[in-house]
Amino acid sequence: MKRIALFVVLVLSAVAAMSVGATQVDGFWSALVSPGSNEIIWQIRFPRVMAALIVGAAVGIAGLMAQGACNNAVAEPAILGTAAGASLGAVVGIATGVAQVGSLSAVLCGTLGALLATTITFKLAALRGALSSFTLIIVGIAVSAIFTSLVGITAAVVNRADARSISFWSLGSLALVTNENLIGVLITTIVGATIAWFVAPMLDRLSLGDQTAFHLGVNISQVRLLALISLSLLAGGAVSTVGVIAFIGLAAPHIARFIFGPSHRALIVYTGFIGALIVVCADTLSRTIAQPNELPIGLATALIGAPVLIALVTVKNNVWRTP
Amino acid sequence: MITLDEITIVRDGREVIYDYSEQIPAGSITVIVGPNGCGKSTLLSAIAGDIAPDKGTITIDELHPILTPAKELSRIRAMAIQNQSFTLGFTVRQIIEMAGEADLVMQQLALVEIADRVVTTLSGGEAQRVAIAQAIAQNTPVLLLDEPLAAQDVSSRRRIIELLQSLAEKGVTVVVVAHSDESDLAWADKVIKQFH
Repeated sequence: MKRIALFVVLVLSAVAAMSVGATQVDGFWSALVSPGSNEIIWQIRFPRVMAALIVGAAVGIAGLMAQGACNNAVAEPAILGTAAGASLGAVVGIATGVAQVGSLSAVLCGTLGALLATTITFKLAALRGALSSFTLIIVGIAVSAIFTSLVGITAAVVNRADARSISFWSLGSLALVTNENLIGVLITTIVGATIAWFVAPMLDRLSLGDQTAFHLGVNISQVRLLALISLSLLAGGAVSTVGVIAFIGLAAPHIARFIFGPSHRALIVYTGFIGALIVVCADTLSRTIAQPNELPIGLATALIGAPVLIALVTVKNNVWRTP
Repeated sequence: MITLDEITIVRDGREVIYDYSEQIPAGSITVIVGPNGCGKSTLLSAIAGDIAPDKGTITIDELHPILTPAKELSRIRAMAIQNQSFTLGFTVRQIIEMAGEADLVMQQLALVEIADRVVTTLSGGEAQRVAIAQAIAQNTPVLLLDEPLAAQDVSSRRRIIELLQSLAEKGVTVVVVAHSDESDLAWADKVIKQFH
């Protein structure tokens, strides 16, 4: 019942998001069932809503991979440096003329940047032996700060409008997404989610600690590497297309876990749905609340996701226990 | 048969196990006893393949645990660690099913009533029994248990010991670490007190 309700709410939210905007569209329902018939619906709002769905799902699942691989409740792409790495990869690719925002090449640059930053975080955190959650988070925050700083410097130094602003890379925006932009992020999301699907049962065992997971037959380093690749693909594709969208990577997995339980394979689906739902609602809010101005979507995702997360943690706090 | 051949293990610059040799026969219960810090859990971890001896070799039949891939090793030996912690809200049944069939071992260890309880809400003794159940459900020829009786009441202790005896009768090699306070070890086939 909860699964059906979530799916119905997601579909209704997507349709509602297509129906609202700066311009009132006459004959909305007839335009909706005739693809391509209305330019505002199909060239502007459709790619935007689709991007919100794909990016929300991707960042949510990326957060699930980060938390599962680190066995840490606060791990997420922004904390591990993955999101900042993706931003730097994309902005450097765009600044050097190798890629354009939303293109396949930008997605590739973003994914490589994400992979680089996440690898640096993991390698530095493990320098003194076993991977400690505390060290991982502290190192991740530091790596993220360095990469974010480099993004700001690059975006400020490069005199190109298509390199976008520091606000875009740090708070995200779906305003300029086109139908063509959806291809790259869709590919990374499908590939990243597929890897996540295969690695999910191992993450269940990893939640018992590295030693017990090893006793149960889990190849720890291989599972972490696969989760890291999945995380980098998911976050890299999303960030290089719409910038960093705050809070989804942290909130969506926890909200899904509270409602549907801890099994990672099921959580891939539900985290994807919840991440998509939050981003669709946040994007609709960000473009309607202060018309004709538009808020950065990161502000709206935090505004929607944070109270829900606080409420769930306060009411039911036995889903994730720190040893 | 588990064979320890002149092994030395150094932890934090200290030789906790020195030049120690032992043979643990198949289908038996062996108990390693000793005070805190004497290296008994280290020895069990070395047999499990968690850590490599600094000198010497450990073999389970012809297999070297430290050189064996995790998947293959998980079909040979299972281990329940001391103080197993649970971070996510899986149920008792889900935790045991990560290793194998759950129903029989839940009956044997009186876990049926708490099968649907979330493991993050369990007491220390219950959590330890779930860890033991998970290791047994793995259905391996070698079973390693680190202080399985420490947090158990009298009836649970008796239940666990009887289950280990029945497993040993079926050919399982059981190695148990126990604290030196453990006075009655009549249920063990072999007791190891010194490994220096």
